[in-house]
Amino acid sequence: MTLRPGSLSFLIIAISAFGTPAFSYAQAAGPRHIYIYIDTVLAADTKEGVDPRLVPMMPKIQGLFSFSTYSLVNHQEGETECGKMIAFTIPSGKILHVQPRAVDGDMIAMEIVLFDGTRPMMTTDLKLKDKGTLIVGGPRYEQGMMFMSIGASTGPRLLSPAEANTPAVPAEAATSR
Amino acid sequence: MRALTCGPSFKTWPGVEQDMAECSEISLMLGAFEDAELEPNEMQEVAYHLARCQSCSGILSDYSSVGRELRSLTPALDFTAPNLAGFADAVIARIDRLPQPWYRRIERYFGSGADFLGSGFAWGGAVAAVAVVTMLLLTPYAQQMSSRRLGAPSAASNQLAAATVAQPSTANDVSSMADNDSHAVISRLESGNPSVAVWSEPRKDTTVIWLPDQP
Repeated sequence: MTLRPGSLSFLIIAISAFGTPAFSYAQAAGPRHIYIYIDTVLAADTKEGVDPRLVPMMPKIQGLFSFSTYSLVNHQEGETECGKMIAFTIPSGKILHVQPRAVDGDMIAMEIVLFDGTRPMMTTDLKLKDKGTLIVGGPRYEQGMMFMSIGASTGPRLLSPAEANTPAVPAEAATSR
Repeated sequence: MRALTCGPSFKTWPGVEQDMAECSEISLMLGAFEDAELEPNEMQEVAYHLARCQSCSGILSDYSSVGRELRSLTPALDFTAPNLAGFADAVIARIDRLPQPWYRRIERYFGSGADFLGSGFAWGGAVAAVAVVTMLLLTPYAQQMSSRRLGAPSAASNQLAAATVAQPSTANDVSSMADNDSHAVISRLESGNPSVAVWSEPRKDTTVIWLPDQP
Protein backbone atom coordinates (compact mmCIF):
# COMPACT_ATOMS: atom_id res chain seq x y z
CA MET A 1 0.00 0.00 0.00
CA THR A 2 1.43 3.33 -0.97
CA LEU A 3 0.47 6.81 0.10
CA ARG A 4 0.81 9.15 -2.81
CA PRO A 5 0.76 12.90 -2.41
CA GLY A 6 -2.82 12.87 -3.72
CA SER A 7 -3.87 10.40 -1.06
CA LEU A 8 -2.23 12.51 1.64
CA SER A 9 -4.11 15.58 0.43
CA PHE A 10 -7.36 13.61 0.46
CA LEU A 11 -6.68 12.49 4.02
CA ILE A 12 -6.06 16.06 5.17
CA ILE A 13 -9.21 17.30 3.43
CA ALA A 14 -11.26 14.47 4.94
CA ILE A 15 -10.01 15.22 8.44
CA SER A 16 -10.76 18.90 7.94
CA ALA A 17 -14.21 18.20 6.55
CA PHE A 18 -15.26 15.88 9.36
CA GLY A 19 -13.15 17.27 12.15
CA THR A 20 -14.19 20.91 11.87
CA PRO A 21 -17.94 20.36 12.19
CA ALA A 22 -17.34 17.80 14.88
CA PHE A 23 -15.17 20.24 16.79
CA SER A 24 -17.73 23.01 16.49
CA TYR A 25 -20.45 20.54 17.47
CA ALA A 26 -18.41 19.56 20.50
CA GLN A 27 -18.07 23.20 21.45
CA ALA A 28 -21.78 23.76 20.91
CA ALA A 29 -22.56 20.67 22.95
CA GLY A 30 -20.81 22.19 25.96
CA PRO A 31 -22.78 23.64 28.86
CA ARG A 32 -26.17 24.62 27.48
CA HIS A 33 -28.00 27.41 29.22
CA ILE A 34 -31.57 26.62 30.05
CA TYR A 35 -34.09 29.24 31.05
CA ILE A 36 -36.82 28.17 33.45
CA TYR A 37 -40.03 30.13 33.95
CA ILE A 38 -42.42 29.49 36.81
CA ASP A 39 -45.86 31.09 36.99
CA THR A 40 -47.79 30.29 40.12
CA VAL A 41 -51.48 30.72 39.53
CA LEU A 42 -54.44 30.64 41.88
CA ALA A 43 -57.51 29.15 40.23
CA ALA A 44 -60.92 29.40 41.89
CA ASP A 45 -64.61 29.52 41.13
CA THR A 46 -65.21 32.92 42.69
CA LYS A 47 -66.12 34.55 39.35
CA GLU A 48 -63.59 37.35 39.74
CA GLY A 49 -62.27 37.03 36.23
CA VAL A 50 -58.79 36.70 34.87
CA ASP A 51 -55.74 38.53 36.12
CA PRO A 52 -54.61 40.81 33.25
CA ARG A 53 -51.08 39.49 33.63
CA LEU A 54 -52.37 36.04 32.76
CA VAL A 55 -54.03 37.07 29.53
CA PRO A 56 -51.15 35.74 27.40
CA MET A 57 -51.47 32.39 29.17
CA MET A 58 -55.22 32.10 28.91
CA PRO A 59 -55.39 30.30 25.58
CA LYS A 60 -53.45 27.47 27.18
CA ILE A 61 -55.25 27.53 30.52
CA GLN A 62 -58.78 27.72 29.24
CA GLY A 63 -58.41 24.51 27.30
CA LEU A 64 -57.31 22.69 30.42
CA PHE A 65 -59.42 24.03 33.27
CA SER A 66 -62.85 25.53 33.72
CA PHE A 67 -62.35 27.82 36.71
CA SER A 68 -63.88 31.28 36.69
CA THR A 69 -61.05 33.07 38.47
CA TYR A 70 -57.38 33.04 37.62
CA SER A 71 -54.90 35.15 39.52
CA LEU A 72 -51.15 35.29 39.10
CA VAL A 73 -49.64 34.73 42.52
CA ASN A 74 -46.02 34.68 41.61
CA HIS A 75 -43.74 34.79 38.60
CA GLN A 76 -40.17 33.57 38.77
CA GLU A 77 -37.58 32.82 36.25
CA GLY A 78 -34.04 31.58 36.38
CA GLU A 79 -31.17 30.53 34.23
CA THR A 80 -29.21 27.36 34.74
CA GLU A 81 -27.34 24.84 32.68
CA CYS A 82 -27.53 21.15 32.09
CA GLY A 83 -26.65 19.23 35.23
CA LYS A 84 -27.26 22.14 37.60
CA MET A 85 -30.35 22.23 39.75
CA ILE A 86 -32.27 25.42 40.24
CA ALA A 87 -34.70 25.92 43.12
CA PHE A 88 -37.82 28.03 43.26
CA THR A 89 -39.76 28.92 46.36
CA ILE A 90 -43.47 28.55 45.83
CA PRO A 91 -46.13 30.17 48.04
CA SER A 92 -47.78 27.94 50.64
CA GLY A 93 -44.42 26.54 51.68
CA LYS A 94 -43.61 24.51 48.64
CA ILE A 95 -40.27 24.28 46.89
CA LEU A 96 -39.67 23.30 43.31
CA HIS A 97 -36.37 21.86 42.17
CA VAL A 98 -35.69 21.79 38.45
CA GLN A 99 -32.59 20.16 37.07
CA PRO A 100 -32.09 20.14 33.30
CA ARG A 101 -30.20 17.04 32.25
CA ALA A 102 -29.62 17.36 28.53
CA VAL A 103 -30.85 18.95 25.35
CA ASP A 104 -31.78 16.52 22.62
CA GLY A 105 -32.86 18.34 19.52
CA ASP A 106 -35.76 20.55 20.56
CA MET A 107 -36.45 18.51 23.69
CA ILE A 108 -35.08 19.36 27.11
CA ALA A 109 -34.60 16.46 29.50
CA MET A 110 -35.04 17.44 33.11
CA GLU A 111 -35.90 16.25 36.57
CA ILE A 112 -38.50 18.09 38.60
CA VAL A 113 -39.07 17.56 42.29
CA LEU A 114 -41.84 19.31 44.20
CA PHE A 115 -41.39 19.55 47.94
CA ASP A 116 -44.00 20.32 50.52
CA GLY A 117 -41.68 21.73 53.13
CA THR A 118 -39.02 19.07 53.30
CA ARG A 119 -41.22 16.22 52.11
CA PRO A 120 -41.05 15.41 48.41
CA MET A 121 -44.56 15.44 46.96
CA MET A 122 -43.70 14.50 43.44
CA THR A 123 -40.63 13.50 41.46
CA THR A 124 -40.62 13.22 37.71
CA ASP A 125 -38.17 12.75 34.89
CA LEU A 126 -39.39 14.10 31.62
CA LYS A 127 -38.41 15.57 28.31
CA LEU A 128 -40.19 18.79 27.56
CA LYS A 129 -40.33 20.43 24.20
CA ASP A 130 -38.34 23.63 23.97
CA LYS A 131 -40.67 26.45 25.04
CA GLY A 132 -43.22 23.85 26.05
CA THR A 133 -45.14 24.02 29.30
CA LEU A 134 -45.66 21.60 32.13
CA ILE A 135 -48.35 22.42 34.65
CA VAL A 136 -48.08 20.93 38.10
CA GLY A 137 -51.00 21.68 40.34
CA GLY A 138 -53.67 20.54 42.63
CA PRO A 139 -52.91 21.67 46.17
CA ARG A 140 -55.53 23.83 47.79
CA TYR A 141 -54.55 27.44 48.21
CA GLU A 142 -56.70 30.11 49.77
CA GLN A 143 -60.15 29.91 48.17
CA GLY A 144 -59.13 27.68 45.30
CA MET A 145 -56.35 25.60 43.93
CA MET A 146 -52.85 26.48 43.00
CA PHE A 147 -50.94 25.34 39.99
CA MET A 148 -47.50 26.11 38.64
CA SER A 149 -46.85 26.60 34.98
CA ILE A 150 -43.28 25.47 34.35
CA GLY A 151 -41.72 26.54 31.10
CA ALA A 152 -38.26 25.72 29.81
CA SER A 153 -36.40 27.02 26.84
CA THR A 154 -32.88 27.02 25.53
CA GLY A 155 -33.00 30.74 24.89
CA PRO A 156 -34.47 33.72 26.72
CA ARG A 157 -38.05 34.22 25.69
CA LEU A 158 -39.54 37.58 24.89
CA LEU A 159 -41.51 39.01 27.73
CA SER A 160 -45.22 39.18 27.27
CA PRO A 161 -46.81 42.59 27.81
CA ALA A 162 -48.07 41.46 31.21
CA GLU A 163 -44.65 40.27 32.27
CA ALA A 164 -42.99 43.38 30.93
CA ASN A 165 -45.07 45.42 33.39
CA THR A 166 -43.68 43.50 36.31
CA PRO A 167 -40.36 44.42 37.91
CA ALA A 168 -37.25 42.97 36.39
CA VAL A 169 -36.02 39.69 37.75
CA PRO A 170 -32.37 38.79 38.25
CA ALA A 171 -31.13 35.88 36.20
CA GLU A 172 -30.28 33.89 39.30
CA ALA A 173 -32.68 31.37 40.64
CA ALA A 174 -35.38 31.65 43.21
CA THR A 175 -36.10 35.30 42.70
CA SER A 176 -39.74 36.09 42.81
CA ARG A 177 -41.77 39.02 41.71
CA MET B 1 51.35 -2.62 -37.95
CA ARG B 2 53.09 -5.88 -37.50
CA ALA B 3 51.41 -9.17 -36.89
CA LEU B 4 51.20 -10.37 -33.36
CA THR B 5 53.39 -13.30 -34.03
CA CYS B 6 57.07 -13.56 -33.89
CA GLY B 7 58.48 -13.72 -37.38
CA PRO B 8 61.80 -14.47 -38.99
CA SER B 9 63.63 -11.87 -36.98
CA PHE B 10 64.09 -14.43 -34.25
CA LYS B 11 67.62 -15.43 -33.78
CA THR B 12 68.23 -19.01 -34.66
CA TRP B 13 70.16 -20.15 -31.71
CA PRO B 14 69.37 -23.17 -29.67
CA GLY B 15 66.01 -23.13 -27.95
CA VAL B 16 64.27 -21.20 -30.74
CA GLU B 17 61.08 -23.27 -30.40
CA GLN B 18 60.91 -22.31 -26.80
CA ASP B 19 61.33 -18.65 -27.76
CA MET B 20 58.51 -18.84 -30.31
CA ALA B 21 56.25 -20.31 -27.74
CA GLU B 22 57.39 -17.61 -25.37
CA CYS B 23 56.65 -14.92 -28.02
CA SER B 24 53.07 -16.12 -28.41
CA GLU B 25 52.61 -15.84 -24.69
CA ILE B 26 54.46 -12.54 -24.34
CA SER B 27 52.55 -10.93 -27.20
CA LEU B 28 49.35 -11.34 -25.21
CA MET B 29 50.82 -9.32 -22.40
CA LEU B 30 52.33 -6.50 -24.41
CA GLY B 31 49.24 -4.27 -24.20
CA ALA B 32 49.16 -4.60 -20.46
CA PHE B 33 52.92 -4.10 -20.31
CA GLU B 34 52.56 -0.86 -22.24
CA ASP B 35 49.95 0.29 -19.72
CA ALA B 36 52.05 -0.96 -16.80
CA GLU B 37 49.22 -3.12 -15.59
CA LEU B 38 51.18 -6.37 -15.15
CA GLU B 39 52.39 -7.90 -11.95
CA PRO B 40 56.01 -7.11 -11.10
CA ASN B 41 57.25 -10.59 -11.97
CA GLU B 42 55.34 -10.47 -15.27
CA MET B 43 56.75 -7.03 -16.02
CA GLN B 44 60.20 -8.41 -15.38
CA GLU B 45 59.62 -11.47 -17.56
CA VAL B 46 58.27 -9.37 -20.46
CA ALA B 47 61.11 -6.90 -20.18
CA TYR B 48 63.61 -9.73 -20.21
CA HIS B 49 61.95 -11.16 -23.31
CA LEU B 50 61.88 -7.81 -25.11
CA ALA B 51 65.57 -7.44 -24.55
CA ARG B 52 66.10 -10.55 -26.53
CA CYS B 53 63.24 -10.39 -29.08
CA GLN B 54 63.21 -7.67 -31.71
CA SER B 55 59.84 -8.76 -33.06
CA CYS B 56 58.09 -8.27 -29.77
CA SER B 57 59.94 -4.99 -29.24
CA GLY B 58 58.61 -3.83 -32.58
CA ILE B 59 55.07 -4.80 -31.64
CA LEU B 60 55.41 -2.96 -28.39
CA SER B 61 56.62 0.17 -30.16
CA ASP B 62 53.58 -0.11 -32.42
CA TYR B 63 51.30 -0.23 -29.36
CA SER B 64 53.02 2.82 -27.97
CA SER B 65 52.68 4.83 -31.15
CA VAL B 66 48.99 3.89 -31.49
CA GLY B 67 48.37 4.97 -27.92
CA ARG B 68 50.11 8.26 -28.44
CA GLU B 69 48.11 8.94 -31.57
CA LEU B 70 44.82 8.17 -29.82
CA ARG B 71 45.61 10.48 -26.93
CA SER B 72 46.61 13.23 -29.37
CA LEU B 73 43.19 12.96 -31.08
CA THR B 74 41.28 13.73 -27.84
CA PRO B 75 43.32 16.35 -26.03
CA ALA B 76 40.27 18.04 -24.41
CA LEU B 77 39.09 14.94 -22.57
CA ASP B 78 40.40 14.35 -19.12
CA PHE B 79 39.96 10.67 -18.44
CA THR B 80 41.46 10.83 -15.00
CA ALA B 81 38.63 12.84 -13.38
CA PRO B 82 35.17 12.41 -14.95
CA ASN B 83 32.75 15.27 -14.30
CA LEU B 84 30.06 13.98 -11.88
CA ALA B 85 28.72 17.30 -10.69
CA GLY B 86 24.96 17.04 -10.02
CA PHE B 87 24.92 13.31 -10.66
CA ALA B 88 24.15 12.34 -7.05
CA ASP B 89 21.46 15.01 -6.68
CA ALA B 90 19.79 13.88 -9.87
CA VAL B 91 19.76 10.27 -8.70
CA ILE B 92 18.31 11.21 -5.29
CA ALA B 93 15.67 13.38 -6.92
CA ARG B 94 14.67 10.54 -9.16
CA ILE B 95 14.47 8.16 -6.20
CA ASP B 96 12.25 10.67 -4.40
CA ARG B 97 9.84 10.66 -7.31
CA LEU B 98 9.39 6.91 -7.08
CA PRO B 99 6.19 5.83 -5.20
CA GLN B 100 7.03 4.64 -1.73
CA PRO B 101 5.00 2.82 0.94
CA TRP B 102 3.12 5.09 3.33
CA TYR B 103 5.02 3.83 6.36
CA ARG B 104 8.29 4.74 4.68
CA ARG B 105 7.00 8.28 4.14
CA ILE B 106 5.92 8.53 7.78
CA GLU B 107 9.29 7.19 8.88
CA ARG B 108 11.07 9.74 6.76
CA TYR B 109 8.79 12.54 7.99
CA PHE B 110 9.37 11.76 11.63
CA GLY B 111 12.96 10.76 10.96
CA SER B 112 13.80 14.37 10.19
CA GLY B 113 12.44 15.41 13.59
CA ALA B 114 13.99 12.42 15.26
CA ASP B 115 17.42 13.81 14.53
CA PHE B 116 16.75 16.43 17.18
CA LEU B 117 14.04 15.09 19.42
CA GLY B 118 14.41 11.37 19.27
CA SER B 119 12.13 8.96 17.53
CA GLY B 120 10.28 8.07 20.74
CA PHE B 121 9.22 11.65 21.32
CA ALA B 122 8.16 12.01 17.69
CA TRP B 123 6.04 8.88 17.82
CA GLY B 124 4.57 9.94 21.15
CA GLY B 125 3.52 13.22 19.60
CA ALA B 126 1.96 11.38 16.70
CA VAL B 127 -0.02 9.13 19.02
CA ALA B 128 -1.17 12.13 21.05
CA ALA B 129 -2.27 13.92 17.89
CA VAL B 130 -4.24 10.89 16.76
CA ALA B 131 -5.84 10.65 20.21
CA VAL B 132 -6.88 14.30 20.15
CA VAL B 133 -8.36 14.01 16.67
CA THR B 134 -10.20 10.85 17.68
CA MET B 135 -11.56 12.52 20.79
CA LEU B 136 -12.73 15.52 18.79
CA LEU B 137 -14.43 13.27 16.31
CA LEU B 138 -16.08 10.96 18.80
CA THR B 139 -17.03 13.31 21.64
CA PRO B 140 -20.10 14.87 20.00
CA TYR B 141 -21.37 11.49 18.86
CA ALA B 142 -20.85 10.04 22.33
CA GLN B 143 -22.74 12.95 23.87
CA GLN B 144 -25.50 12.46 21.36
CA MET B 145 -25.68 8.78 22.21
CA SER B 146 -25.74 9.43 25.95
CA SER B 147 -28.37 12.09 25.59
CA ARG B 148 -30.48 9.74 23.50
CA ARG B 149 -30.09 7.03 26.09
CA LEU B 150 -31.09 9.47 28.80
CA GLY B 151 -34.35 10.40 27.18
CA ALA B 152 -35.06 7.42 25.02
CA PRO B 153 -38.64 6.48 25.48
CA SER B 154 -39.32 2.82 26.03
CA ALA B 155 -41.52 0.84 23.75
CA ALA B 156 -44.39 1.37 26.12
CA SER B 157 -43.95 5.11 25.98
CA ASN B 158 -44.68 5.10 22.31
CA GLN B 159 -48.23 4.34 23.21
CA LEU B 160 -50.35 7.12 24.53
CA ALA B 161 -50.62 6.62 28.22
CA ALA B 162 -51.63 10.04 29.37
CA ALA B 163 -54.29 9.89 31.99
CA THR B 164 -57.20 12.29 32.04
CA VAL B 165 -59.19 13.85 34.81
CA ALA B 166 -61.99 11.49 34.09
CA GLN B 167 -59.61 8.57 34.30
CA PRO B 168 -57.19 9.57 37.02
CA SER B 169 -54.05 7.54 37.37
CA THR B 170 -53.87 5.77 40.67
CA ALA B 171 -50.37 4.46 40.21
CA ASN B 172 -47.74 5.90 42.44
CA ASP B 173 -45.05 5.23 39.87
CA VAL B 174 -45.92 5.88 36.29
CA SER B 175 -43.13 4.35 34.31
CA SER B 176 -43.72 6.13 31.06
CA MET B 177 -46.23 8.56 29.73
CA ALA B 178 -46.22 10.41 26.49
CA ASP B 179 -48.56 12.29 24.27
CA ASN B 180 -49.11 11.86 20.59
CA ASP B 181 -47.08 14.86 19.50
CA SER B 182 -44.23 14.10 21.89
CA HIS B 183 -44.07 17.63 23.17
CA ALA B 184 -43.48 16.04 26.55
CA VAL B 185 -42.28 12.56 27.41
CA ILE B 186 -42.54 11.57 31.04
CA SER B 187 -40.24 8.67 31.75
CA ARG B 188 -40.71 8.62 35.52
CA LEU B 189 -43.32 9.97 37.88
CA GLU B 190 -43.26 9.18 41.57
CA SER B 191 -45.65 10.56 44.11
CA GLY B 192 -47.06 9.53 47.41
CA ASN B 193 -50.41 10.83 46.21
CA PRO B 194 -52.52 7.92 44.94
CA SER B 195 -54.75 10.25 42.93
CA VAL B 196 -52.15 11.78 40.70
CA ALA B 197 -53.46 12.51 37.23
CA VAL B 198 -51.61 13.30 34.02
CA TRP B 199 -53.01 14.63 30.79
CA SER B 200 -51.89 16.78 27.97
CA GLU B 201 -52.97 19.21 25.33
CA PRO B 202 -50.69 18.65 22.35
CA ARG B 203 -52.15 21.61 20.46
CA LYS B 204 -51.10 23.89 23.28
CA ASP B 205 -47.77 22.19 23.99
CA THR B 206 -48.90 21.70 27.56
CA THR B 207 -48.86 18.70 29.88
CA VAL B 208 -50.53 18.66 33.28
CA ILE B 209 -49.61 16.70 36.37
CA TRP B 210 -52.40 17.12 38.87
CA LEU B 211 -51.83 16.33 42.53
CA PRO B 212 -55.12 16.85 44.35
CA ASP B 213 -55.04 17.24 48.08
CA GLN B 214 -55.62 14.00 49.88
CA PRO B 215 -58.63 13.87 52.16
